[in-house]
Amino acid sequence: MKRSTPTPMVEFSHVRRCFGQTTAVDDLSLAIQRGEVFAFLGPNGAGKTTTIKMMVGLLHPSQGAIQVGGWDVVRHPRQAAQQIGYVPDEPFLYDKLTGREFLEFVARIRGMSAEETQQRIARQAEVFELTDFLDRLTETYSHGMKQRVVFASVLLHDPPLLVADEPMVGLDPKSVRLVKDLMRAHAAQGKTVFISTHTLALAEEIADRIGIIHRGRLIFVGSLAQMHQEGLMQDKNLEEFFLQLTDGQGRTPKLDASETFSAAGEEAAASSVVPPSADLPTSKEG
Amino acid sequence: MATSWAIRKQAEPSADALSLASLSAEARALWRLRYQRFRWALRIVLAESRLRLALIAVLSLVLWGVIFWLCLDGFHFLRAAVAHTPTHDQIVHHVFGMYLLALMLMLTISSGILLYGMLFRGPDIAFLLTLPVSTERVFLHKFQEAVWLSSWAFVLLSSPMFVAYGLAAQSPWYYYAVLVPFLAAFSYIPAAVGAMACLVVVRWFPGARMLFLAGVIVVLLAGGAWVVRGLSSTSPGDLLTPNWFQSILHRLRFSQHRMLPSWWVSMGILEASQPKQPAPWTTRPPWAESLLFLGLTISNALFFRQVAGAAGGRWYRSAYSRLHTQQHVSRPGFLPRLGWVAPIRLLRQLPPQLAAAADRFLLRLPIGSSATRLLVVKDFRLFRRDPVQWSQFLVFFGLVLFYFLHMRPFSYDIHHATWVNMVSFLNLSVVGLLLSTFTTRFVFPTISLEGRRFWLLGLLPLRREQILWSKFIYAFGGSILPCSLLVLLSDWKLGISPLIMGIHQLTAVLLALGLSGISVGLGAKMPNFRETSPARIAAGFGGTLCLVLSALYIVLVVALTALPSHFWLAFQTGQAAWSPGPFGLWEQSIRFWMLLGIGCSVLLGLAAAVIPMRMGFRAFHQMEF
Repeated sequence: MKRSTPTPMVEFSHVRRCFGQTTAVDDLSLAIQRGEVFAFLGPNGAGKTTTIKMMVGLLHPSQGAIQVGGWDVVRHPRQAAQQIGYVPDEPFLYDKLTGREFLEFVARIRGMSAEETQQRIARQAEVFELTDFLDRLTETYSHGMKQRVVFASVLLHDPPLLVADEPMVGLDPKSVRLVKDLMRAHAAQGKTVFISTHTLALAEEIADRIGIIHRGRLIFVGSLAQMHQEGLMQDKNLEEFFLQLTDGQGRTPKLDASETFSAAGEEAAASSVVPPSADLPTSKEG
Repeated sequence: MATSWAIRKQAEPSADALSLASLSAEARALWRLRYQRFRWALRIVLAESRLRLALIAVLSLVLWGVIFWLCLDGFHFLRAAVAHTPTHDQIVHHVFGMYLLALMLMLTISSGILLYGMLFRGPDIAFLLTLPVSTERVFLHKFQEAVWLSSWAFVLLSSPMFVAYGLAAQSPWYYYAVLVPFLAAFSYIPAAVGAMACLVVVRWFPGARMLFLAGVIVVLLAGGAWVVRGLSSTSPGDLLTPNWFQSILHRLRFSQHRMLPSWWVSMGILEASQPKQPAPWTTRPPWAESLLFLGLTISNALFFRQVAGAAGGRWYRSAYSRLHTQQHVSRPGFLPRLGWVAPIRLLRQLPPQLAAAADRFLLRLPIGSSATRLLVVKDFRLFRRDPVQWSQFLVFFGLVLFYFLHMRPFSYDIHHATWVNMVSFLNLSVVGLLLSTFTTRFVFPTISLEGRRFWLLGLLPLRREQILWSKFIYAFGGSILPCSLLVLLSDWKLGISPLIMGIHQLTAVLLALGLSGISVGLGAKMPNFRETSPARIAAGFGGTLCLVLSALYIVLVVALTALPSHFWLAFQTGQAAWSPGPFGLWEQSIRFWMLLGIGCSVLLGLAAAVIPMRMGFRAFHQMEF
């Protein structure tokens, strides 16, 4: 059942996902509020894509629950999917369709009327400058063109939650700028943006909060300002801080393992860092 | 790119964009998607691959015509041989029942395998599952595609047989009218069973899916062997006697079980083919009996479709998740929990040891430079690590091997050496044609695929010729061994003379040589760097041309050696008299013709290897990547 009280846009509750004996995501508890841009960072194989795939309903958690817009993604996948616009790391388009036909298909599946579909496609074509190639078969598109059409398709229905896995790969600088602006604009509307990225500069530039996952465990959540304020970064930039957190040889900041992090994006939310090996207590909303 | 006002516009709040599409609307959207994709694919094929399309159409018509002619002749023969109508009908009923039962099993497996690929490995499936589409609809969308893909060949192969029977039995018009709904409804039932089996295996036993498939195939092969053995164990003197018929029908009685959809379809089709008088056991006219069976088949098809859809809606997402969250066990740990059992431990250790030994053997071969041999080893490793390649290789060559092993050496009334010789050359052609599909499907695209990653090979201290030579050696080495062994087995089972065996072995070498040259040379001459899928590269114009040229080459090479051998045997066994006929067929000249035929086929083989390779070298050398 959909909850009547205001809820975070995304809520992970003690989520765990195992691949056989390997734990890819371990006891992840996190809440992301409406109007927030959340950047999810982590080294290769840390569990970012697994987390995203669980959020969009592709994989089921081994334990715990995920809610998107108040809908449980396992029990109500259709309703949850309607809240989400998902840009995967490998953009998919049907190669034997034109870009316009692809957008029309997505619009129909999302329940839009024919008139509304045409209006929205025209709008997205203008924003992403798709007009020149929208009526060509997508198999002739470059990676960047495909990525722009995918962005247009996920934004067709103005999703309350935009999820993007490495969204900037293959985009030219102009498109990168556009996507960044769109993400900020989307959040300014009171909608949520969740991006997974290796580009720390991108996270620094547009994210309200940053989450760092390492070996399946969320080891840091907070804003850049909070990091500086709490002296976590000292005189380091985000890159140095990230490497220090995730590098097994590096010095891990001395932290109180009992200190829990707050996952909400409220101003009052406290940031914290937890060593990968430490057992995380139940996270609470901020 | 976008201006700030465009972004503002983008960010305007939506009205009711979050209301879900109705279930019928999402079904319509998916059907429209399928129609649009088909329309584009057809348009492209008509524009770019007319030769391929024409070839497919002509070959399909020829195949249809040949099956129709054989069946018509067979049914006429049966009517003439078995004058007693009830016995005749009983035989036809058993033939149809057995045929449909075998097809039902094959459709169950093929749709299960197809659906596994479509539902769990398809490139679009992750996309569809992240859309607000009901899980049951996604499942049914793929299920419908699998039904079509697995059953079109069934219709192509079955329709000439049923049409021929209708003509032979002088059936009324409605016999032909009910054929289509019968076949369509029938194909739904095994497809639904295959779909549910696939779902159950992936949902509850994701780690044992290959083991499960292998088990099913082994059981079916064993069952097939048991049936074939039972049918062929009749003593030669009984052939075509009433006792023989009764014995065969008795052994096939399992195909007449009343719960089998194959029996319903067989009964329904045969009822429709009857004259208008009711059968002795019923008061209903035959067309009404036929419609009853049609109703039974259609209602069961709809029932199975509903059950499959409901099962898909309930378990598909969790099955997808389970499969994709399986721990990837490094080879050969497909039986990890049974690793303590000594024979299984040995079985697990054997493949890597054999593979390493094969690699060492290839590296020490005195062929080409060490760099060329390294490239051959690389291709061999790619082959054995790609289940698509070796599984198709094993299935097709395994089927031919199975056929050769069960080939009977004409022990009834046919002792003509020329017949045996003809069959042996036909077997040789079959092996050659099979080989040509593999060189076209797996060797021809390798140059195009290599071109896509040419930056890697191009930066190594290699001459481009070495790359092509390595492909040729790989193709030849991989072809000659199975080709030669299969032909040897066929000859041994047929009891062929050593001279003809020698000619066959030479022809096998020539086939491997020529087919390797054609596939590698044309692959370099006509590469396709746009496609990433080897299947699509092989299905393009270059691949089609390669297949056609390969088929022509096989026909020519085999004919050049087979015809003189045939006449030589005919004269040797006294089935033809030595006389100076219009072609001068006397003893001295037939030896000359044999030698000439062999000489020409050797020259043709060399030409087929050298000319395309030279063209390929030139094109590959000038190619810009």
